[in-house]
Amino acid sequence: MNVTINQEGNKFNVILEGRLDTTNADQFQKDIEPLMNGDKPEISLDCTAMEYTSSQGLRMFLMLQKSVNSRGGSMVMVGMNPQVKEVFDITGFSNIIKII
Amino acid sequence: MIMEEDSVEKYGLDSHCTMMLEEYREHRESFAKILEISTTCIKNLLSQNGIFVTAVEGRVKEEKSLVGKLELKGHKYRTLSDITDIVGTRVITFYTDDVDKVAGLCENSFDIDWDNSVDKRKMHQLDSFGYMSLHYVCRIPKSMYFDQAHPEINTTRFELQLRTTLQHMWANMNHDCGYKGDVEIPIEHLRNMNRLAGVLELADDEFSRIRTAVNDYRRQVQGLVANGKFSEVPLNVDTFRSYLNMKPFDKLNRRIAAINQAEIHDATLMPYLRIFKYLGFKSLGDIEDLKKQSSDDAYQLATLEIGGTDLDIISATIAVQDLCIVHILKSGGGEDGLTAFFEELSGESAYNRTRARRLIEKTARLPFMNTKK
Repeated sequence: MNVTINQEGNKFNVILEGRLDTTNADQFQKDIEPLMNGDKPEISLDCTAMEYTSSQGLRMFLMLQKSVNSRGGSMVMVGMNPQVKEVFDITGFSNIIKII
Repeated sequence: MIMEEDSVEKYGLDSHCTMMLEEYREHRESFAKILEISTTCIKNLLSQNGIFVTAVEGRVKEEKSLVGKLELKGHKYRTLSDITDIVGTRVITFYTDDVDKVAGLCENSFDIDWDNSVDKRKMHQLDSFGYMSLHYVCRIPKSMYFDQAHPEINTTRFELQLRTTLQHMWANMNHDCGYKGDVEIPIEHLRNMNRLAGVLELADDEFSRIRTAVNDYRRQVQGLVANGKFSEVPLNVDTFRSYLNMKPFDKLNRRIAAINQAEIHDATLMPYLRIFKYLGFKSLGDIEDLKKQSSDDAYQLATLEIGGTDLDIISATIAVQDLCIVHILKSGGGEDGLTAFFEELSGESAYNRTRARRLIEKTARLPFMNTKK
């Protein structure tokens, strides 16, 4: 999973590429550390090139969402392909994470 | 550099009043301490008893203001301790009945000088309206605070005013309009101000009456929910929240989680109130009926969806989401019905129709889709 973070003030555009699973979840957690600090972050996760997420990936997104909420910010996932979106749908996660 | 205070002599008061002013200066720190103790105590009482108020405020009378009082009626007071409002605290409540509740708590906490306390709410004649406030003259009891070096903290009296927000508003506006000494206010304006006091008194009573009625309704509904009389309980924010406190979807969530030995991530189900209303549900009984009639079908759907995956985490919304999907499919809502449901749930997106179409295809062979009606 490649993570590219583009920051302008409190706005973050994060490009996710590849697969997110147990083998690279720890690295992913390190990669998104810059998103875990600061007040009222506005985070957009560009999932256009994300190929797959496992349960471990869902946990990572949940952790990020909780951190963002606690800092009064917002997080949205955009451009998900239908296979990835299905994972969020069938687990009920599309009810708790904003996906457009 | 410490600034020397001006001599009290500068005010030109008589010797009696000058002595009282000197005593005031001497005890200023104790007055501040009394204010701190009393307001802290009141705030704690309110917090412990779950009473929300507009404000707890207080002040130590400024020297200039005391001088003004002494100039006007200094001869009335034998000693400074006869002036009971040097320290003043005030509690401004939302509701009239909260004034009495706070009063009761303060009676149990402070030593009340009943001879000098007055309930101005009860001083009006049948046909008069105006200032409404409960004034207590109090002392800090030794059981609450005692400092051997400052026994005056327990002997000095302070004034505690209790009033509602509307009473407070009227008192301030009346003070602003009526008590400025530069011109005499025509009687019709004063009468209008008192007329307004009557209106506000009515509004205060009405606020309290509405709160009592709402609380009665809440208790009644909670009783119905607790006794399982769901069909008699209309679906609204309060009833749905009480219903969710009973964890009505936990059993199905646990059943679904067991498919993959998944953990359940807690999530609010309150957004589903809007969804149930959108689906035409009128009472909690309608939701219970859905659970009774469709839990097995929702479980089948979940098994179909996650059974073949290694996903081992689900959201606590999964049971209610799948129940709604099953309800729409069994009611013949089809692709359009599901698409509209997803739009209502998550907002407009081109993916909603794809998701609906996929579900229709996947569920086509499930038993509940093939039951002859």
